Amino acid sequence: MSTYGTTRHHAPSAFSTPASTTLFRRLTWEGTVPLEIRVDSKELPANSDRGLECYYIQAPRVSYLPLLMPELRRFLMDVVFDEAANKILKEEDWWFESEEGTLLKWHWPIGLIYDNHTISSSIRLPSQASSSQDAIHVNPLKLVLHLASPPTEKLLLSPTAEACKQAFMGQLKEADFIRWGSTKRMTGLRKAEQDGIWEGIKEHNFDDYWRVASKIVPTTAPARTNSPPPSSSASMHSRPPSADPQVAPDRDGAYSVRSVPVRIYLPDGPVMQDLVPPTLDDGVAHTLGHYLTTHLPLLFPASPSSDSDSDLAYALVQGILAPHGSEMAWLGACMAGADGWLNVCIGIIR
Amino acid sequence: MAQVPGSPEDTGRQTSLPWTPGEGGENALEALQALEAYKKKDPSKVVVRFKAVGNAPIMKTNFYKITAANRFQAVIQFLRKELGWKAGDPLFTYINLAFSPAPDDTVSNLYKSFATEGHLIVNYSTTAAWG
Repeated sequence: MSTYGTTRHHAPSAFSTPASTTLFRRLTWEGTVPLEIRVDSKELPANSDRGLECYYIQAPRVSYLPLLMPELRRFLMDVVFDEAANKILKEEDWWFESEEGTLLKWHWPIGLIYDNHTISSSIRLPSQASSSQDAIHVNPLKLVLHLASPPTEKLLLSPTAEACKQAFMGQLKEADFIRWGSTKRMTGLRKAEQDGIWEGIKEHNFDDYWRVASKIVPTTAPARTNSPPPSSSASMHSRPPSADPQVAPDRDGAYSVRSVPVRIYLPDGPVMQDLVPPTLDDGVAHTLGHYLTTHLPLLFPASPSSDSDSDLAYALVQGILAPHGSEMAWLGACMAGADGWLNVCIGIIR
Repeated sequence: MAQVPGSPEDTGRQTSLPWTPGEGGENALEALQALEAYKKKDPSKVVVRFKAVGNAPIMKTNFYKITAANRFQAVIQFLRKELGWKAGDPLFTYINLAFSPAPDDTVSNLYKSFATEGHLIVNYSTTAAWG
Protein backbone atom coordinates (compact mmCIF):
# COMPACT_ATOMS: atom_id res chain seq x y z
CA MET A 1 0.00 0.00 0.00
CA SER A 2 1.56 3.21 -1.04
CA THR A 3 1.01 6.28 0.99
CA TYR A 4 1.15 9.19 -1.38
CA GLY A 5 0.75 12.51 0.28
CA THR A 6 -2.72 13.07 -0.98
CA THR A 7 -6.11 11.81 -0.03
CA ARG A 8 -7.39 11.96 -3.56
CA HIS A 9 -5.02 9.54 -5.24
CA HIS A 10 -3.72 6.22 -4.13
CA ALA A 11 -1.34 5.33 -6.87
CA PRO A 12 -0.19 1.75 -7.02
CA SER A 13 3.48 1.33 -6.28
CA ALA A 14 6.01 -1.46 -6.47
CA PHE A 15 7.45 -0.47 -3.13
CA SER A 16 5.67 0.75 -0.11
CA THR A 17 6.70 4.34 0.26
CA PRO A 18 6.70 5.83 3.75
CA ALA A 19 4.75 9.03 4.19
CA SER A 20 7.82 11.08 5.11
CA THR A 21 9.63 10.07 1.92
CA THR A 22 6.55 10.96 -0.08
CA LEU A 23 6.30 14.31 1.69
CA PHE A 24 9.84 15.33 0.72
CA ARG A 25 9.42 13.96 -2.78
CA ARG A 26 6.30 16.04 -3.14
CA LEU A 27 8.00 19.16 -1.78
CA THR A 28 10.83 18.62 -4.26
CA TRP A 29 8.38 18.02 -7.08
CA GLU A 30 6.26 21.08 -6.30
CA GLY A 31 9.31 23.34 -6.07
CA THR A 32 9.25 26.14 -8.63
CA VAL A 33 11.59 28.94 -9.64
CA PRO A 34 10.69 32.38 -11.00
CA LEU A 35 11.90 33.11 -14.52
CA GLU A 36 11.84 36.38 -16.41
CA ILE A 37 12.16 35.68 -20.11
CA ARG A 38 12.94 38.63 -22.36
CA VAL A 39 13.38 38.50 -26.11
CA ASP A 40 16.73 39.94 -27.14
CA SER A 41 15.74 43.48 -28.09
CA LYS A 42 18.12 43.47 -31.05
CA GLU A 43 16.33 40.46 -32.49
CA LEU A 44 12.74 41.58 -32.00
CA PRO A 45 11.08 41.47 -35.42
CA ALA A 46 9.66 44.63 -36.95
CA ASN A 47 6.19 45.60 -35.69
CA SER A 48 6.63 43.74 -32.43
CA ASP A 49 4.79 45.18 -29.48
CA ARG A 50 7.72 46.50 -27.49
CA GLY A 51 7.27 46.83 -23.79
CA LEU A 52 5.47 43.51 -23.65
CA GLU A 53 8.36 41.33 -24.77
CA CYS A 54 8.90 40.06 -21.24
CA TYR A 55 7.31 36.88 -19.98
CA TYR A 56 7.18 35.79 -16.35
CA ILE A 57 6.70 32.23 -15.30
CA GLN A 58 6.99 30.20 -12.12
CA ALA A 59 8.56 27.09 -13.63
CA PRO A 60 8.75 23.66 -11.98
CA ARG A 61 12.27 22.78 -10.84
CA VAL A 62 11.93 19.29 -12.29
CA SER A 63 10.93 20.55 -15.75
CA TYR A 64 13.05 21.51 -18.76
CA LEU A 65 13.31 24.59 -20.96
CA PRO A 66 12.06 22.83 -24.13
CA LEU A 67 8.84 22.03 -22.25
CA LEU A 68 8.22 25.75 -21.66
CA MET A 69 8.51 26.58 -25.34
CA PRO A 70 4.88 25.95 -26.40
CA GLU A 71 3.57 28.27 -23.67
CA LEU A 72 6.21 30.88 -24.42
CA ARG A 73 5.59 30.75 -28.14
CA ARG A 74 1.84 31.11 -27.60
CA PHE A 75 2.43 34.22 -25.51
CA LEU A 76 4.83 35.78 -28.00
CA MET A 77 2.57 35.04 -30.97
CA ASP A 78 -0.54 36.34 -29.27
CA VAL A 79 0.90 39.43 -27.67
CA VAL A 80 4.25 40.48 -29.09
CA PHE A 81 4.87 39.40 -32.69
CA ASP A 82 2.73 40.31 -35.64
CA GLU A 83 1.51 37.76 -38.15
CA ALA A 84 4.34 38.30 -40.60
CA ALA A 85 6.90 37.63 -37.90
CA ASN A 86 5.02 34.56 -36.70
CA LYS A 87 5.33 33.07 -40.17
CA ILE A 88 9.10 33.62 -40.40
CA LEU A 89 10.22 32.70 -36.90
CA LYS A 90 11.20 29.10 -36.35
CA GLU A 91 11.16 27.69 -32.85
CA GLU A 92 14.09 25.39 -33.63
CA ASP A 93 16.30 28.49 -33.95
CA TRP A 94 15.44 29.74 -30.47
CA TRP A 95 17.84 29.50 -27.58
CA PHE A 96 18.43 30.99 -24.13
CA GLU A 97 21.21 32.84 -22.41
CA SER A 98 21.39 34.17 -18.89
CA GLU A 99 21.65 37.91 -18.41
CA GLU A 100 25.41 37.49 -17.97
CA GLY A 101 25.68 35.67 -21.27
CA THR A 102 25.87 32.08 -20.03
CA LEU A 103 24.42 29.64 -22.50
CA LEU A 104 21.57 27.63 -21.00
CA LYS A 105 21.51 23.96 -21.83
CA TRP A 106 18.34 22.30 -22.99
CA HIS A 107 18.98 19.12 -21.06
CA TRP A 108 19.57 20.61 -17.59
CA PRO A 109 16.59 20.63 -15.22
CA ILE A 110 15.29 24.17 -14.70
CA GLY A 111 15.93 23.97 -10.95
CA LEU A 112 19.56 23.11 -11.64
CA ILE A 113 19.89 26.03 -14.06
CA TYR A 114 18.50 28.31 -11.37
CA ASP A 115 20.73 27.00 -8.57
CA ASN A 116 23.77 27.01 -10.84
CA HIS A 117 23.10 30.66 -11.58
CA THR A 118 22.75 31.39 -7.86
CA ILE A 119 26.14 29.89 -7.02
CA SER A 120 27.83 31.49 -10.01
CA SER A 121 26.49 34.85 -8.83
CA SER A 122 28.03 34.14 -5.42
CA ILE A 123 31.49 34.74 -6.88
CA ARG A 124 30.48 37.86 -8.82
CA LEU A 125 28.58 40.06 -6.43
CA PRO A 126 30.83 40.75 -3.47
CA SER A 127 29.05 43.95 -2.52
CA GLN A 128 25.47 42.74 -2.75
CA ALA A 129 25.64 39.35 -1.12
CA SER A 130 26.89 39.54 2.42
CA SER A 131 26.07 36.03 3.48
CA SER A 132 25.01 32.72 2.09
CA GLN A 133 21.48 33.53 3.20
CA ASP A 134 21.41 36.58 0.98
CA ALA A 135 22.62 34.55 -1.95
CA ILE A 136 19.48 32.52 -2.00
CA HIS A 137 16.96 35.31 -1.89
CA VAL A 138 14.41 34.38 -4.46
CA ASN A 139 14.87 36.64 -7.42
CA PRO A 140 13.67 35.86 -10.91
CA LEU A 141 16.35 34.34 -13.08
CA LYS A 142 16.56 36.67 -16.04
CA LEU A 143 16.77 34.82 -19.33
CA VAL A 144 17.40 36.30 -22.73
CA LEU A 145 15.58 34.53 -25.56
CA HIS A 146 17.39 34.64 -28.89
CA LEU A 147 15.36 34.00 -32.00
CA ALA A 148 18.11 33.07 -34.45
CA SER A 149 21.58 31.59 -34.96
CA PRO A 150 21.71 29.03 -32.15
CA PRO A 151 25.29 28.03 -31.22
CA THR A 152 24.50 24.39 -31.92
CA GLU A 153 28.01 23.16 -31.08
CA LYS A 154 27.73 24.42 -27.54
CA LEU A 155 24.07 23.66 -26.94
CA LEU A 156 24.87 19.99 -27.75
CA LEU A 157 21.23 19.08 -28.29
CA SER A 158 18.46 20.24 -30.56
CA PRO A 159 15.83 22.24 -28.70
CA THR A 160 13.04 19.73 -29.24
CA ALA A 161 11.08 18.03 -26.50
CA GLU A 162 12.00 14.69 -28.11
CA ALA A 163 15.77 15.33 -27.84
CA CYS A 164 15.22 16.45 -24.26
CA LYS A 165 13.30 13.24 -23.52
CA GLN A 166 16.13 11.10 -24.91
CA ALA A 167 18.68 12.97 -22.79
CA PHE A 168 16.42 12.61 -19.76
CA MET A 169 16.08 8.85 -20.30
CA GLY A 170 19.85 8.60 -20.63
CA GLN A 171 20.26 10.34 -17.28
CA LEU A 172 17.68 8.08 -15.62
CA LYS A 173 19.55 5.02 -16.90
CA GLU A 174 22.92 6.39 -15.86
CA ALA A 175 21.52 7.00 -12.35
CA ASP A 176 20.12 3.45 -12.32
CA PHE A 177 23.53 2.07 -13.31
CA ILE A 178 25.23 4.12 -10.58
CA ARG A 179 22.82 2.73 -7.98
CA TRP A 180 22.81 -0.93 -8.88
CA GLY A 181 25.62 -1.56 -11.35
CA SER A 182 23.13 -2.33 -14.11
CA THR A 183 20.12 -0.73 -15.76
CA LYS A 184 17.81 -3.69 -15.36
CA ARG A 185 15.27 -1.73 -13.33
CA MET A 186 14.99 0.80 -16.17
CA THR A 187 15.01 -1.76 -18.97
CA GLY A 188 12.42 -3.74 -17.03
CA LEU A 189 9.93 -0.93 -17.52
CA ARG A 190 7.44 -1.34 -20.31
CA LYS A 191 7.53 1.18 -23.15
CA ALA A 192 4.28 2.71 -21.89
CA GLU A 193 5.80 3.13 -18.43
CA GLN A 194 8.93 4.80 -19.82
CA ASP A 195 6.77 7.17 -21.84
CA GLY A 196 4.55 7.71 -18.81
CA ILE A 197 7.43 8.89 -16.66
CA TRP A 198 8.20 11.62 -19.21
CA GLU A 199 4.53 12.51 -19.56
CA GLY A 200 4.47 12.97 -15.80
CA ILE A 201 7.16 15.61 -16.15
CA LYS A 202 5.54 17.26 -19.16
CA GLU A 203 2.23 17.50 -17.35
CA HIS A 204 3.92 18.12 -13.99
CA ASN A 205 1.87 15.33 -12.48
CA PHE A 206 3.42 13.94 -9.29
CA ASP A 207 1.32 10.78 -9.16
CA ASP A 208 1.89 9.86 -12.82
CA TYR A 209 5.62 10.35 -12.46
CA TRP A 210 6.04 8.49 -9.16
CA ARG A 211 3.73 5.64 -10.17
CA VAL A 212 6.58 4.55 -12.46
CA ALA A 213 9.57 6.22 -10.77
CA SER A 214 8.91 4.36 -7.52
CA LYS A 215 9.91 1.19 -9.40
CA ILE A 216 13.42 2.53 -9.97
CA VAL A 217 14.13 5.04 -7.19
CA PRO A 218 14.75 3.37 -3.83
CA THR A 219 12.86 4.44 -0.74
CA THR A 220 14.32 5.30 2.62
CA ALA A 221 11.91 2.94 4.27
CA PRO A 222 12.67 -0.21 6.09
CA ALA A 223 15.39 -1.85 8.05
CA ARG A 224 18.80 -0.36 8.37
CA THR A 225 21.31 -1.56 10.81
CA ASN A 226 24.26 0.20 12.37
CA SER A 227 22.80 3.61 11.74
CA PRO A 228 23.41 6.32 14.28
CA PRO A 229 20.45 7.64 16.23
CA PRO A 230 18.55 10.29 14.33
CA SER A 231 19.71 13.81 14.95
CA SER A 232 17.11 16.38 15.87
CA SER A 233 17.29 18.05 12.47
CA ALA A 234 16.51 14.80 10.74
CA SER A 235 13.70 13.62 12.95
CA MET A 236 11.16 14.22 10.21
CA HIS A 237 11.92 11.04 8.37
CA SER A 238 11.09 7.70 9.78
CA ARG A 239 13.75 5.25 10.77
CA PRO A 240 13.72 2.10 12.75
CA PRO A 241 14.66 3.07 16.29
CA SER A 242 16.83 0.02 16.77
CA ALA A 243 18.63 -2.57 14.74
CA ASP A 244 16.14 -5.39 14.95
CA PRO A 245 17.88 -8.65 14.07
CA GLN A 246 14.54 -10.10 12.93
CA VAL A 247 14.31 -7.62 10.07
CA ALA A 248 16.34 -8.43 7.00
CA PRO A 249 18.09 -5.48 5.39
CA ASP A 250 16.08 -4.05 2.53
CA ARG A 251 18.03 -4.93 -0.58
CA ASP A 252 16.04 -2.43 -2.64
CA GLY A 253 16.34 0.39 -0.12
CA ALA A 254 18.19 3.66 -0.44
CA TYR A 255 20.88 2.49 1.96
CA SER A 256 21.56 -0.68 -0.04
CA VAL A 257 22.58 0.96 -3.31
CA ARG A 258 26.13 0.59 -4.61
CA SER A 259 26.38 4.35 -4.93
CA VAL A 260 24.12 7.40 -4.80
CA PRO A 261 23.89 9.33 -8.11
CA VAL A 262 25.38 12.70 -7.13
CA ARG A 263 26.98 15.57 -9.01
CA ILE A 264 28.73 18.57 -7.48
CA TYR A 265 28.41 21.88 -9.34
CA LEU A 266 30.97 24.58 -8.64
CA PRO A 267 30.47 28.24 -9.63
CA ASP A 268 31.25 28.55 -13.38
CA GLY A 269 32.07 24.82 -13.45
CA PRO A 270 33.42 22.22 -13.23
CA VAL A 271 30.90 19.47 -12.54
CA MET A 272 32.27 16.64 -10.42
CA GLN A 273 30.97 13.10 -10.19
CA ASP A 274 32.29 10.15 -8.28
CA LEU A 275 31.03 7.01 -6.59
CA VAL A 276 29.21 7.92 -3.37
CA PRO A 277 28.50 4.89 -1.19
CA PRO A 278 25.45 5.26 1.09
CA THR A 279 27.36 4.04 4.12
CA LEU A 280 31.02 4.33 5.06
CA ASP A 281 33.36 1.49 5.91
CA ASP A 282 32.36 1.54 9.58
CA GLY A 283 28.70 1.14 8.65
CA VAL A 284 27.79 4.71 9.51
CA ALA A 285 25.63 6.60 7.05
CA HIS A 286 27.58 8.76 4.59
CA THR A 287 26.63 12.35 5.36
CA LEU A 288 26.76 15.42 3.16
CA GLY A 289 29.30 16.91 5.56
CA HIS A 290 31.64 13.94 5.11
CA TYR A 291 31.14 14.00 1.36
CA LEU A 292 31.98 17.72 1.14
CA THR A 293 35.05 17.56 3.40
CA THR A 294 36.46 14.63 1.43
CA HIS A 295 35.72 16.00 -2.06
CA LEU A 296 36.18 19.73 -1.50
CA PRO A 297 38.52 20.00 1.51
CA LEU A 298 39.70 23.48 0.51
CA LEU A 299 36.13 24.80 0.82
CA PHE A 300 34.88 22.50 3.58
CA PRO A 301 37.84 21.88 5.89
CA ALA A 302 37.38 18.96 8.23
CA SER A 303 36.86 20.27 11.74
CA PRO A 304 37.03 18.19 14.90
CA SER A 305 33.85 19.69 16.29
CA SER A 306 31.98 18.60 13.14
CA ASP A 307 30.22 21.95 12.96
CA SER A 308 30.34 24.06 9.82
CA ASP A 309 31.92 27.23 11.23
CA SER A 310 35.09 26.86 9.20
CA ASP A 311 33.28 26.38 5.89
CA LEU A 312 34.12 28.80 3.10
CA ALA A 313 31.16 27.66 1.04
CA TYR A 314 27.61 26.38 1.30
CA ALA A 315 25.73 23.56 -0.40
CA LEU A 316 22.38 23.97 -2.12
CA VAL A 317 20.14 21.00 -2.83
CA GLN A 318 16.97 21.91 -4.73
CA GLY A 319 17.58 25.52 -3.74
CA ILE A 320 17.79 24.69 -0.04
CA LEU A 321 20.82 25.09 2.21
CA ALA A 322 21.48 21.46 3.02
CA PRO A 323 22.72 20.68 6.54
CA HIS A 324 25.95 18.70 6.92
CA GLY A 325 24.12 15.98 8.81
CA SER A 326 21.94 15.10 5.80
CA GLU A 327 22.57 11.54 4.73
CA MET A 328 23.51 11.07 1.08
CA ALA A 329 21.22 8.05 0.67
CA TRP A 330 18.28 9.98 2.08
CA LEU A 331 19.02 12.98 -0.13
CA GLY A 332 19.24 10.67 -3.15
CA ALA A 333 15.86 9.10 -2.37
CA CYS A 334 13.97 12.25 -1.40
CA MET A 335 15.69 15.32 -2.89
CA ALA A 336 16.98 14.10 -6.27
CA GLY A 337 15.69 15.62 -9.48
CA ALA A 338 13.23 13.79 -11.71
CA ASP A 339 16.19 12.37 -13.64
CA GLY A 340 17.31 10.56 -10.49
CA TRP A 341 20.36 12.76 -9.88
CA LEU A 342 21.13 14.57 -6.67
CA ASN A 343 22.61 17.93 -7.66
CA VAL A 344 24.71 19.65 -5.01
CA CYS A 345 25.45 23.26 -5.97
CA ILE A 346 28.31 24.93 -4.11
CA GLY A 347 28.28 28.69 -3.50
CA ILE A 348 30.80 30.93 -1.77
CA ILE A 349 30.08 32.44 1.65
CA ARG A 350 30.83 36.15 1.73
CA MET B 1 30.52 33.70 -25.78
CA ALA B 2 30.38 33.45 -22.06
CA GLN B 3 31.31 30.70 -19.70
CA VAL B 4 29.39 27.50 -20.03
CA PRO B 5 29.25 25.78 -16.68
CA GLY B 6 30.76 22.36 -16.80
CA SER B 7 32.65 22.70 -20.03
CA PRO B 8 36.34 22.26 -19.38
CA GLU B 9 37.54 23.90 -22.57
CA ASP B 10 36.02 27.20 -21.54
CA THR B 11 37.54 27.35 -18.11
CA GLY B 12 41.09 27.88 -19.31
CA ARG B 13 40.43 31.50 -20.11
CA GLN B 14 39.28 32.32 -16.66
CA THR B 15 42.60 33.29 -15.18
CA SER B 16 41.29 36.23 -13.20
CA LEU B 17 38.01 36.42 -11.38
CA PRO B 18 36.02 39.63 -11.06
CA TRP B 19 36.46 40.03 -7.33
CA THR B 20 38.02 42.78 -5.32
CA PRO B 21 40.27 41.47 -2.57
CA GLY B 22 39.15 42.67 0.80
CA GLU B 23 35.60 43.38 -0.17
CA GLY B 24 34.42 39.89 0.53
CA GLY B 25 36.81 39.27 3.38
CA GLU B 26 39.69 36.88 3.79
CA ASN B 27 37.46 33.83 3.61
CA ALA B 28 35.97 34.79 0.27
CA LEU B 29 39.43 35.29 -1.18
CA GLU B 30 40.50 31.91 0.10
CA ALA B 31 37.33 30.36 -1.29
CA LEU B 32 37.94 31.86 -4.72
CA GLN B 33 41.48 30.52 -4.71
CA ALA B 34 40.11 27.11 -3.77
CA LEU B 35 37.73 27.29 -6.72
CA GLU B 36 40.63 28.08 -9.03
CA ALA B 37 42.40 24.98 -7.76
CA TYR B 38 39.35 22.80 -8.42
CA LYS B 39 38.97 24.35 -11.84
CA LYS B 40 42.40 23.17 -13.01
CA LYS B 41 42.01 20.64 -15.75
CA ASP B 42 42.94 17.08 -15.02
CA PRO B 43 45.95 16.52 -17.33
CA SER B 44 45.87 12.75 -16.91
CA LYS B 45 44.75 10.42 -19.66
CA VAL B 46 42.47 7.43 -19.44
CA VAL B 47 42.05 4.44 -21.73
CA VAL B 48 38.86 4.43 -23.75
CA ARG B 49 37.94 1.22 -25.49
CA PHE B 50 35.51 1.37 -28.40
CA LYS B 51 33.27 -1.60 -29.14
CA ALA B 52 31.02 -1.83 -32.16
CA VAL B 53 27.43 -2.97 -31.71
CA GLY B 54 25.21 -4.50 -34.38
CA ASN B 55 26.15 -3.50 -37.92
CA ALA B 56 28.52 -0.72 -36.93
CA PRO B 57 31.97 -1.06 -38.55
CA ILE B 58 34.75 -2.39 -36.33
CA MET B 59 37.74 -0.12 -35.74
CA LYS B 60 41.28 -1.35 -36.48
CA THR B 61 42.52 0.21 -33.29
CA ASN B 62 40.00 0.32 -30.50
CA PHE B 63 42.14 1.44 -27.55
CA TYR B 64 42.83 5.13 -27.21
CA LYS B 65 44.29 7.26 -24.49
CA ILE B 66 42.09 10.31 -24.11
CA THR B 67 42.63 13.33 -21.87
CA ALA B 68 40.34 12.93 -18.88
CA ALA B 69 39.31 16.59 -18.90
CA ASN B 70 37.66 16.19 -22.32
CA ARG B 71 33.92 16.18 -22.52
CA PHE B 72 32.15 13.09 -23.83
CA GLN B 73 31.18 15.19 -26.85
CA ALA B 74 34.87 15.19 -27.83
CA VAL B 75 34.88 11.38 -27.68
CA ILE B 76 31.87 11.26 -29.98
CA GLN B 77 33.54 13.65 -32.41
CA PHE B 78 36.77 11.62 -32.33
CA LEU B 79 34.85 8.43 -33.01
CA ARG B 80 32.97 9.98 -35.92
CA LYS B 81 36.24 11.10 -37.45
CA GLU B 82 37.86 7.67 -37.02
CA LEU B 83 34.85 6.00 -38.64
CA GLY B 84 34.81 8.55 -41.45
CA TRP B 85 31.24 9.49 -40.60
CA LYS B 86 29.76 12.50 -42.37
CA ALA B 87 27.65 15.08 -40.60
CA GLY B 88 24.17 13.67 -40.19
CA ASP B 89 25.25 10.01 -40.35
CA PRO B 90 23.59 8.33 -37.39
CA LEU B 91 25.83 7.26 -34.54
CA PHE B 92 24.66 6.26 -31.07
CA THR B 93 27.12 5.91 -28.22
CA TYR B 94 26.71 4.10 -24.92
CA ILE B 95 28.69 3.29 -21.81
CA ASN B 96 28.83 -0.36 -20.73
CA LEU B 97 26.05 -1.36 -23.16
CA ALA B 98 23.68 0.47 -20.83
CA PHE B 99 23.13 4.20 -21.28
CA SER B 100 24.07 7.30 -23.27
CA PRO B 101 25.87 9.85 -21.12
CA ALA B 102 25.19 13.56 -21.37
CA PRO B 103 27.56 15.01 -23.99
CA ASP B 104 28.76 17.67 -21.55
CA ASP B 105 29.87 15.15 -18.94
CA THR B 106 33.62 14.72 -18.75
CA VAL B 107 35.58 11.59 -19.57
CA SER B 108 37.09 11.89 -16.11
CA ASN B 109 33.69 11.73 -14.37
CA LEU B 110 32.56 8.80 -16.51
CA TYR B 111 35.82 6.95 -15.95
CA LYS B 112 35.60 7.35 -12.18
CA SER B 113 32.07 5.96 -12.07
CA PHE B 114 32.00 3.38 -14.86
CA ALA B 115 35.50 2.16 -15.74
CA THR B 116 35.81 -1.60 -16.16
CA GLU B 117 39.26 -3.07 -15.49
CA GLY B 118 40.93 0.25 -16.16
CA HIS B 119 39.02 0.96 -19.36
CA LEU B 120 36.06 3.17 -20.12
CA ILE B 121 34.05 1.05 -22.53
CA VAL B 122 32.22 3.04 -25.20
CA ASN B 123 29.82 1.08 -27.40
CA TYR B 124 28.76 2.55 -30.71
CA SER B 125 25.90 1.68 -33.00
CA THR B 126 24.27 2.99 -36.15
CA THR B 127 20.83 2.44 -34.67
CA ALA B 128 19.39 3.26 -31.27
CA ALA B 129 20.19 0.24 -29.14
CA TRP B 130 19.37 1.04 -25.54
CA GLY B 131 17.60 4.33 -26.21
